[in-house]
Amino acid sequence: MKRIVSIIIMTAFIWMGCENKSTSPGVSDTEILIGNIQDLSGPIKELGLLIPAGTNMYLDYINSQGGVHGRQIKMLVEDHGYNPQKAVVAAKKLIEKDQVFCLYNVIGTSPAEAIRPILEESGVPLIAPATNSSSMSDMSRQAAEYIFHTDAGYDLQTRVLIDYIIDKNPDAKIGIAYQDDDYGENALKGCAEAEGNHGITVQKESFQRGATDFVGQTMNFMKGGCTDVIIGGIVREPVTIMKTAQAIGYKAQFYGLGPTVDARVGMLAGEAGEGFIAAYWANYPNSDDSGPTLYRQLSEQNNVPEKMRGLYHYYGFATAHVLVEGLRKAGKYPTRERLMKGLETLHDWDSGVFPPITYSRNDHAGVESVILLQLQGGKQVAITDWRD
Amino acid sequence: MIKGRFDDENLKWIPVLIIVVFLFPFLLKSATFSYKYYLYILNIAGIYIILTVGLDILSGFTGLMSLGHAAFLAIGAYTSAILVDQVGLPFELSLIITPIIVGLFGFVIGFPALRIEGMYLGLTTMGFGFIVKRLIIAFREWTGGSGGLHVSKATFFGITINNDWDNYFMIYTFAILAIIIARRIVKSKLGRAFMAIRDSEQAAQASGINLAKYKMMSFFISGMFAGFAGVLFAHTSHFISTDHFDILLSILFIVMVLVGGVGSIYGAVLGTLFIVLMENMFIPLFEDGMSQFVHLEAGDFQVFIFGLIMLIFIIFQPLGLYGMWLKMRIYWKIFPFNPRKRFN
Repeated sequence: MKRIVSIIIMTAFIWMGCENKSTSPGVSDTEILIGNIQDLSGPIKELGLLIPAGTNMYLDYINSQGGVHGRQIKMLVEDHGYNPQKAVVAAKKLIEKDQVFCLYNVIGTSPAEAIRPILEESGVPLIAPATNSSSMSDMSRQAAEYIFHTDAGYDLQTRVLIDYIIDKNPDAKIGIAYQDDDYGENALKGCAEAEGNHGITVQKESFQRGATDFVGQTMNFMKGGCTDVIIGGIVREPVTIMKTAQAIGYKAQFYGLGPTVDARVGMLAGEAGEGFIAAYWANYPNSDDSGPTLYRQLSEQNNVPEKMRGLYHYYGFATAHVLVEGLRKAGKYPTRERLMKGLETLHDWDSGVFPPITYSRNDHAGVESVILLQLQGGKQVAITDWRD
Repeated sequence: MIKGRFDDENLKWIPVLIIVVFLFPFLLKSATFSYKYYLYILNIAGIYIILTVGLDILSGFTGLMSLGHAAFLAIGAYTSAILVDQVGLPFELSLIITPIIVGLFGFVIGFPALRIEGMYLGLTTMGFGFIVKRLIIAFREWTGGSGGLHVSKATFFGITINNDWDNYFMIYTFAILAIIIARRIVKSKLGRAFMAIRDSEQAAQASGINLAKYKMMSFFISGMFAGFAGVLFAHTSHFISTDHFDILLSILFIVMVLVGGVGSIYGAVLGTLFIVLMENMFIPLFEDGMSQFVHLEAGDFQVFIFGLIMLIFIIFQPLGLYGMWLKMRIYWKIFPFNPRKRFN
């Protein structure tokens, strides 16, 4: 009997001592390969340059400190030109040909939506898809278990902005300029929610992605007597609308969603942009939190040109924190399953770049609160606490 | 002259081609571990072959320009997605109904073709493309708007087409069928009427050809091919979005036909394979190397290369890839009695 017990105990110790050393494709003894799909040739190609540059700045910093579990992280970037079909080709190439360990930062809602079937078929996780659309963290959708979203949704951002406006002025007449695509649709979802909560009607004006003329929309807001206008654009849209309003003598308080937090809005809009309020969901680049401080320090060290610094460069830097933390959690012998399981153990994780993040098996939403920033003297200043 | 000589084609090699096409995936699988990626690229080429073969009937054989074929592809893809996933029709039925619906759209677009031609017809069909895109966004309840639409896998007589491997065999079976049907059409009375219209509308009319009827027929047939391609596109890529079906795609289809050789079905096939493989496999290979010498951004390099290819073909090889092949064949057939000037 003693002998049997000792054999069992010995076996248990041996089993516990043995670590599963198998790894997934994309992992060698010295390197982990990551795949990124950006828009390098389409309507938002400027972002395709800035975001991976920010990511590489952080990855170089991590690599210079010895990488993750002794492995250097290498990122391959493919182009989709904001075409979902090309995103599918790029994802297939990265997964089947280049054999990346995981996908990261695929930009745009429809390109990220298009690769869901591939994620499901291949079992490759997608970390931090570069879109604020809340559909990315909808756990009822296909391949949701493989997607770890970081950004707070456009719907949440819109709702928080409307709540803020109504708090300040219950009689406010609100207008929203929305992009006639998935970005706008998600923003309108939040708008409808707020309309129901407050019993108000928001004036809605649409524009096409890539539009350069907003005179019609601005005139309509003026005709409708809107006191507060939310702009669901990127950089060109808020700048042009605010400048148009200034030119035609229309005075209203302007607001923007996450993508308008970019520093270029203040630079380009100048005087017309003074007082512009935008909803943001990360520790903003100018703040004193540890993440932004490191960002500024690394930007100086790497001589990042001033015009590159800002929301999108910072976005690449910030989301890379989640990727690196996931790789750390995946252990010394990372597999795709261990990466996903590792991320799902994050509970109120303070990255320094985001408010605390929690992932679980049924929640891949990442940040679920926003902060409002106002342009004051050309600088972004936080005017609220985190809201949800 | 060259064309006339080889009009009576030799069909013996078609079974050989079919065997090669169906053996190719097995060869690919044994040659490379990333065969799934290459199969996916070939699958896109196969779907586009069905469309460009139809486009060639319209543009190459009837002489009518279309910059709206991406829109026909979109209508096919969305119609099938709605019919199968929302109405509940079987995929097999959608393969029959959808091309007819898209053909009818082609029929309607054929109306203006009775009065306008050339560039103006091109602009009209381009406008049609824009309208279709806006309509797809407007009917968001069915189409998912600009956010796109997820589409189910194809189930063909009880067999679910699961992956790129299965897709390959389904797509190329239909592509070969499309090529055979297109060949039959252009060799028939219908095809001869199309060519008569292309060469001279007045002469065709004087010979008793009803211009209105045949022009609309050509649009209908071309629309059907595009609709068929749309069905396969939707159920093999599993996600469709308006971002894909833009004017650039329509232009790319024209380039495929042009490079392959206008007015030859095999030319459209060769041109499509050439452009799809260039776009996805060869251009990315040179992109990095070339970027050291020429400062071009990712997408611009591709546009630059396609522009260059098109110019080279228009200037030096107007008969396209298929024309090159025919010339080569004649050269060796009559070797060594080649009249020198003929092959310059």
